[in-house]
Amino acid sequence: MKEGFRQAMAWLHTWAGLIFGWLLFAIFLTGTLAYFKDETSHWMKPEIPARSVSSDVSLNVAQNYLEQHAGGASRWLIELPTAREPGLSVRWQQTPTQRGERGQFTEKHLDPQTGAEVQGRESTGGEFFYRFHFQLQMPYPWGRWLSTFAAMVMFVALISGIITHKKIFKDFFTFRPRKGQRTWLDGHNAVGVLVLPFHLMITYSSLVIFMVMVMPASILVSYKGDVRGFYDELFPASTTPQLSGQPAALAPLAPLLEKAREQWGDGRVARLTVNNPGDASASVVLVRDGSDRVVHDFGSAVTFQGVSGQLLGATPQASLPRAIAGSFFGLHMGHFAGPLMRGLYFIFGLAGTAMIGTGLVIWLGKRQLKHAKAAALPFELRLVQILNIASMAGLMLAVAAFFWANRLLPLGLTGRADWEVNAFFIVWGLSVLHAVVRPGKQAWFEQLALAAVLFGGVPLLNALTTSYHLAVTLAQGDWAMAGFDLTCLATGVFFAWAAWKMRRAGQVEGVSRPRAQPMALEQEAH
Amino acid sequence: MLLALLLCYAGFTALCLAMDRHHVELLGRKASLRRRQGLRLAGWLLLALSLWAAVATAGWESGLVEWCAVLMLSAVLLVMLMPYRPSLVLSLAGLSLLACPVALLAQ
Repeated sequence: MKEGFRQAMAWLHTWAGLIFGWLLFAIFLTGTLAYFKDETSHWMKPEIPARSVSSDVSLNVAQNYLEQHAGGASRWLIELPTAREPGLSVRWQQTPTQRGERGQFTEKHLDPQTGAEVQGRESTGGEFFYRFHFQLQMPYPWGRWLSTFAAMVMFVALISGIITHKKIFKDFFTFRPRKGQRTWLDGHNAVGVLVLPFHLMITYSSLVIFMVMVMPASILVSYKGDVRGFYDELFPASTTPQLSGQPAALAPLAPLLEKAREQWGDGRVARLTVNNPGDASASVVLVRDGSDRVVHDFGSAVTFQGVSGQLLGATPQASLPRAIAGSFFGLHMGHFAGPLMRGLYFIFGLAGTAMIGTGLVIWLGKRQLKHAKAAALPFELRLVQILNIASMAGLMLAVAAFFWANRLLPLGLTGRADWEVNAFFIVWGLSVLHAVVRPGKQAWFEQLALAAVLFGGVPLLNALTTSYHLAVTLAQGDWAMAGFDLTCLATGVFFAWAAWKMRRAGQVEGVSRPRAQPMALEQEAH
Repeated sequence: MLLALLLCYAGFTALCLAMDRHHVELLGRKASLRRRQGLRLAGWLLLALSLWAAVATAGWESGLVEWCAVLMLSAVLLVMLMPYRPSLVLSLAGLSLLACPVALLAQ
């Protein structure tokens, strides 16, 4: 009975893992890259200067700029720079010509010290990976549904994997390299078991993040189908006050930062919204930056009267269920993480990606053994092989192409940011074609070798096309920029090693086909 | 975080040595039952101590998160070192135990 159950779980693990493995690999990889979203954006928009200016100074700069350029707007939005995202961005919304319409938004990036407009290159930056991670470049809401469904499958695969793994404690510290299939399985188990807390946290929390979308029943019932009412209650509305028509000068905004901090006891302001600037009815909403705590606080804000600077209201303390949801959200996003912790998040994310990748390789490797003597693989195995190559090596190539496009596309190109994304998908598509045309091992080798060249070449490309090369960034201590270059270089070295291994494995096999692996493996890995 | 990492690594090494297969692998001989029990106890104690070290410096909220992170990191490190640099495994564990008082003072 017990063995029957384990076998059923093994079957589930095998097939759930295979069918969703390719998609999950892409979700995990882009999610991992998204942990360095701001740093990636900084590298992709190098014109935005990294300066350490206090919030007060940059807020004054923003207010001056907006008073000069957006006096008649109905709303200002000011995004204050942080240590990770050095840009000061201001947006304003024109007063709509007709009531009930949404006014046009204008966005500008400012130098937080001088207030001059920064003409950055048009780029999606790290935001692309972040968005792709859960929207999969699909129209709303399909991408979110698919990625949430994939997360559910991931959860099933994790649980069934734990049940399938017979010797979870006995093999806890086991990794045996250079033993073919055995090594792949050891590696799959090692990254799976040793980093299991992270895998479970990340998968479960992703379901919590989208729980309202997936399981709206409780809300629909309690609020009698009025979802809007639920949100209004959850996030006390920051509705625009009625325009009074009497002009009045806006109070200086910078002192409000200190007042907001007093309200919270700690913390810093992430962004400000000014409603009806220049009118007697102006109000200022200061939203707290959630990155100082693990438990994410959704939209904790204080509101001040814009002219007198009087406190109008503050969002109440989060309730316990919200704090629990907030802690899952915070853990998943890792906004709280300092540089060291962020690096660890990145490493564990890569471990998750590697777990999925090794799983896919094992599925095929085990079945390939039976056809070791045949000239060609049966169609279904060949299909899996092509998808393995394109979803793993091809995706890496696409990521590299995205970075190369950022540096090579002409700055004045219309729709430049879109073309970066297009480059990503074109290269990914080409990798599928390449994998179809070339034999399996050869395709792996060629794509890995190309990935090695592209990633290894990123620092050089950066040095040739911009003035922010490693010698400059290291000397300036711009670690986000330098770290990006160095990470790409290390990735290139890793892919070069992987390509070399692949080549050698191919040659050894050419001389003498390896003996069939011990049969014991068959029973362990389904 | 450093102290917690050192304690975690040493703890996992002790737990690893408490298993017959790895004891032979790392030290070349089998361990007596008493020795294995002692190692297992020491391993769990070190892991518990590392939890205390993480929570005492960073509080429950960040401390628990940091502890989980160093727990996973040290285990991955140990498992990757063992097949490739087995001689380093024990010397690193000894070094981390020696460095613990220094890390405690630095906190």
